[in-house]
Amino acid sequence: MAKGFFTDTTVCIGCKACEVACKQWNQLPYDGYHFTGMSYDNSGDLGASTWRHVEFIERPVPLGGQTAGNFSWLMMSDVCKHCQRAGCLEACPTGSIVRTEFDTVYVQPDICNGCGYCVVACPFGVIDRLPADGRAWKCTLCYDRLKDDMEPACAKACPTDSIIFGEVADLRDKAQARVEQLHERGMTEAYLYGHDAASQPGTGGLNAFFLLADKPEVYNLPPDPVVPTKKVAESWGALALAGLGMVMTVAAAVLTQRDRAR
Amino acid sequence: MMEGSREPSAEELSTKEPKHRRDDGRYIDASVGALSGEGSQQETGAPGSTEPVKAFSSVPSIWGGRQFEPTYYGRPAIKSPVWIWTIPAYFFVGGLAGAAMVLGSAAQLLGGARMRLFAQRCHWTGAAAGGIGSALLIADLGRPSRFLNMLRVFRPTSPMSVGSWVLAAATPCSLGAALFYRQGGLLGSLGEMGGYGAGILGIPLAGYTGVLLANTAIPVWQQSRRSLPVLFIGSSMTSAASILKLLPLPPGGGDVVHTFGVVGSLIELAAGRAMERESSQVDQVGKPLRQGAAGMLWTTAKVLTAASLVASVLPGQSRGKRRLAGILGALGSICLRFAVFHAGQVSSRDPHATFRQQRAGYGAAEVTGKPAVTGPERRPLPAPKTKEEIWDTGVSGSGGASEQE
Repeated sequence: MAKGFFTDTTVCIGCKACEVACKQWNQLPYDGYHFTGMSYDNSGDLGASTWRHVEFIERPVPLGGQTAGNFSWLMMSDVCKHCQRAGCLEACPTGSIVRTEFDTVYVQPDICNGCGYCVVACPFGVIDRLPADGRAWKCTLCYDRLKDDMEPACAKACPTDSIIFGEVADLRDKAQARVEQLHERGMTEAYLYGHDAASQPGTGGLNAFFLLADKPEVYNLPPDPVVPTKKVAESWGALALAGLGMVMTVAAAVLTQRDRAR
Repeated sequence: MMEGSREPSAEELSTKEPKHRRDDGRYIDASVGALSGEGSQQETGAPGSTEPVKAFSSVPSIWGGRQFEPTYYGRPAIKSPVWIWTIPAYFFVGGLAGAAMVLGSAAQLLGGARMRLFAQRCHWTGAAAGGIGSALLIADLGRPSRFLNMLRVFRPTSPMSVGSWVLAAATPCSLGAALFYRQGGLLGSLGEMGGYGAGILGIPLAGYTGVLLANTAIPVWQQSRRSLPVLFIGSSMTSAASILKLLPLPPGGGDVVHTFGVVGSLIELAAGRAMERESSQVDQVGKPLRQGAAGMLWTTAKVLTAASLVASVLPGQSRGKRRLAGILGALGSICLRFAVFHAGQVSSRDPHATFRQQRAGYGAAEVTGKPAVTGPERRPLPAPKTKEEIWDTGVSGSGGASEQE
């Protein structure tokens, strides 16, 4: 029952219908008008009230198989990845962030107390706290629509099927076939980002994964993301050692003082 | 028109509007305007509170694609901490509470009758600092009224959850010990038990915040994950000793506090050096500790701690000397917490820190032994052209602040 997105960036035309559909369906507030100067991207990044974000990359190099011109556009609709090992979920101290019956990661607004720990625990910089609201927000993968057997608003609105919604297992097959097709056409740089645990061990695979045509950094995606909890055992170990040192120090200090007093 | 100014509900509209009105193309179903979406609860504050439009000295879209080491227009790859100053302040106060509780219960257990007053003083310090620390934490919450949700679940994967439980249990234990430990009877033994409980909980309380910071995606914190907890324990020992030195100390306390503080400062200085080395395994990751405001705070912390150490070990028993060592030690510890906090802020805003750390093998590869798939080798980008070759309309400026390479 794992649901997710396959976002094929090679067919994205940068229309931002997903951004608008997401804002409309979820009735998210506006976040001001900014002129970023970053090509056609004036949303900047994903945030508490921006749950889909279309990136625009202008490259002075052609795509593989491109016959005309010395320039190429890359566009990508970014979204919460709904990781198999979700940093936000594992960090949430209130139990506000849960995994739903659709295997998606969902923040319960009636429980979140705005501690802000999920914000720094996300290796993709997705979830954020809304200053005036005080709580953390991110893509819900349209939990309300899924419960009614509808596809998420962004996927529904996408005119080129760059955003495909479905069972993650089916999506993986579709994505693999698409990569092979692109390779046949000469676009050998196409690859899948985070489609399973083998290709992205740090997150255990993403329920919302991507087909990319350049390095992840170009799309502001981390090249080797890791859920912080995978590394934290060593920290607890160091804490235990230092704690032991503190106890031994204090015991020695008290004992020598007592002996001296006698 | 209906009586009163109440607007008709969607249901009333759809049934009460005559059919020709509903079909004339102007009728709008009011229910689609009802705020019921998943983001509709978001509170936004006053309009116009967003940041002003920034002016650019260059065209980011032209420079973005040409970087040898690509980023997305120099945008941060991760989010910055949303925490305010109360969080590093809590690192200091909470750590101090934990170390004071450990001191108190050790004096209880091993100090004999002579140190009972000192043990009580330690527990008073621990309880007060625990209380102040809790208030600082609540002040930072986005929804302070929901602070009790911190104790809604216990989540071992979250150092913040573990720490909340530790703080919530240790503070009343310490308070109980402070209030009742020196009394007789049932209350006295309850106080004694509380003191031991606080002592055990004080160990993680003194250093869990280091684990909490290490358990994030912020490059400099994650990279320093072995030294941070040790550094914070050392700093907590220094700060507890420093604050106790500033109070009039009961018999037997002075020497214990002195030893505790000296060892704490030594740990703090050594772990600080270890953190510099650990974070600089990737040069870009360790940078915030070496330069800028965070770097200055970091150096100041080191100098203050070293000065406090020197003031402690110099011969002499004067009250003034003890006070000076206490003040220097406490200031050093405060500076250290703020330095680490601000280094994280700087690090989070630097996409090169995130990317280089992971490219250097310190991402998931470090623990899984297998790096993520990042596509075939990048086709080489053309040699950078001059500004005039690409853009001849006279845009001024160079590559922008984000382009460091």
